[in-house]
Amino acid sequence: MRNSEPAVNTRVFRGLVAFLWTEVLVQAHEELAMAASMMVQSVLLVFVWILAPALLGVAFVGAIVYSMFTMGQRVLNEAAYVRIDHKANDLYLAGPMSPEAYFLGMAFGILVVYVAPVVVLGVVATAVIHFTLAQGVLLFALSATVWVFSASVGYIFSTFFRDNRAIWAYSSLFFNIFGVLPPVFYPFRLWPAPLAPVALLMPPSAAAALVQASLGITRLSSGETLLAVGGLVVETVLLFLFAIYWARRTVREK
Amino acid sequence: MTELALQSENLRKVYQSKGTPPIEALAGVSLEVRRGERVALLGRNGAGKTTFLKIASTLLRPTSGRIQVFGYDVDRTPEKARPYIAVVPQEGKPFFHLTPREQVYTYLRARGLGRETAKSRTEEALEKMGLLECADRLCVTLSGGQRQRAMVATVIATEAPLLFLDEPTIGMDPFARRSVWDSLRTLTRRGSTILLTTHYLDEAEALSHRLYIVERGRVLVAGTAEDLKRSVGGTVKVLLPGGAPLAETFRSFGSSVTDGDTLTIIVNPERLGELMDLAVRSKLLATVGPVTLEEAFLRVVGRSIDEE
Repeated sequence: MRNSEPAVNTRVFRGLVAFLWTEVLVQAHEELAMAASMMVQSVLLVFVWILAPALLGVAFVGAIVYSMFTMGQRVLNEAAYVRIDHKANDLYLAGPMSPEAYFLGMAFGILVVYVAPVVVLGVVATAVIHFTLAQGVLLFALSATVWVFSASVGYIFSTFFRDNRAIWAYSSLFFNIFGVLPPVFYPFRLWPAPLAPVALLMPPSAAAALVQASLGITRLSSGETLLAVGGLVVETVLLFLFAIYWARRTVREK
Repeated sequence: MTELALQSENLRKVYQSKGTPPIEALAGVSLEVRRGERVALLGRNGAGKTTFLKIASTLLRPTSGRIQVFGYDVDRTPEKARPYIAVVPQEGKPFFHLTPREQVYTYLRARGLGRETAKSRTEEALEKMGLLECADRLCVTLSGGQRQRAMVATVIATEAPLLFLDEPTIGMDPFARRSVWDSLRTLTRRGSTILLTTHYLDEAEALSHRLYIVERGRVLVAGTAEDLKRSVGGTVKVLLPGGAPLAETFRSFGSSVTDGDTLTIIVNPERLGELMDLAVRSKLLATVGPVTLEEAFLRVVGRSIDEE
């Protein structure tokens, strides 16, 4: 019999690359969305350039971190949309592809497409900020960490929605509140001092503050640095592990 | 390996949600699907068909009971059952920003098929589904029926050992439906097993070796289409103009139903002559034809509703 055995064995990340490529193809058809993903950052950069040009470097760092953070919003929107409207979960997960591959394939696929404008932003930023290699690596590593955090949040949140209309409002609210209100686009020291730990425990502002500190724009005490690094790493690792668990757990409805 | 592709025993599913009474979607469904069979699950909306398919395809946990796919317990070890199955979900859609060719190919690759196999099966499935002409157009530009064909092509191309198809031909034109039927027949000839739900009774009759009628979460009838037709008291129907007033006169020949001005009587072929004699004596123009599966379904399910 031609179908007596399944074509594949049981590997955890089975199907990841293929699904990543699927998502790249899907996302790459939306050139306008790629441009629109830079809208908030661009507007804020123009405002800062006009109103406080001395802070343009801070704003560029913020724009890069924010861009990585809002990729989680895309993961949320895409995961919920294809689950609710297309029943993609049923198609893909009732099969040999693993739920981890589904989550990570989607997140990486969105990253591959939407990282292009961020790279352009980074290149433009080098005209304003003079990065050393170490500072560049730090910005890259922190941005990547923020992406892992936000992609995990996005995927987890996507599973709670049953209606796409609700998602548009809530996802926009969540990612803009945590990406714009805390000191991401402006210097950490302008944030109310009593609330400093709150900002340092929020991944986008923690990452921005650490880069600002490395560039000498902001001074962080060793305690604050520890809180920012520790918080960012612990929150990201825990949330990522939870997202993996949640991806497995939500394959089946109860 | 077991000869049964799917086996459920006393499968129950109760949906619980806060503030509303629990809903028993499945009230103890036991059924079997043998390897290589095409089996249809029929029932009214909300009868429990999709719930059963979701449990069988590892996407929903049952409340109690047992269900196995090729001997693997779907509830306890879903990851062992999954490589054997593929699903056309109810109201599923292809990715709108993929072409049908990309949709089928990338899906096969995500299931672990090699490049060459995926490529050849993609072309074969697109051809079978009549999608070659629009294979490189984005799915968002296709009609509803073409999108549905793309979904079916995606899943039949897997040639998975067990295929679950939840209303696979919904929105398709009669030609496309027949292409799907042909493809499903080919798949079972190659060794796949198919469990499908449909509201098109002609489809169930043309396609399935056996069928189960589900009503309020229970299996009402199991057997072949012919078994079901016989179960309603005959395989021949006689249509008489005049409607309800004639029901009493023809009561002894079998069950009858009035549809507008027409009285339809289900009768055994042995008593057909006798009935026709009475119709002629009554100066009635009778129309004779075979009982369709739809008529048998309506009677079986209708009887069940009346009893409840």
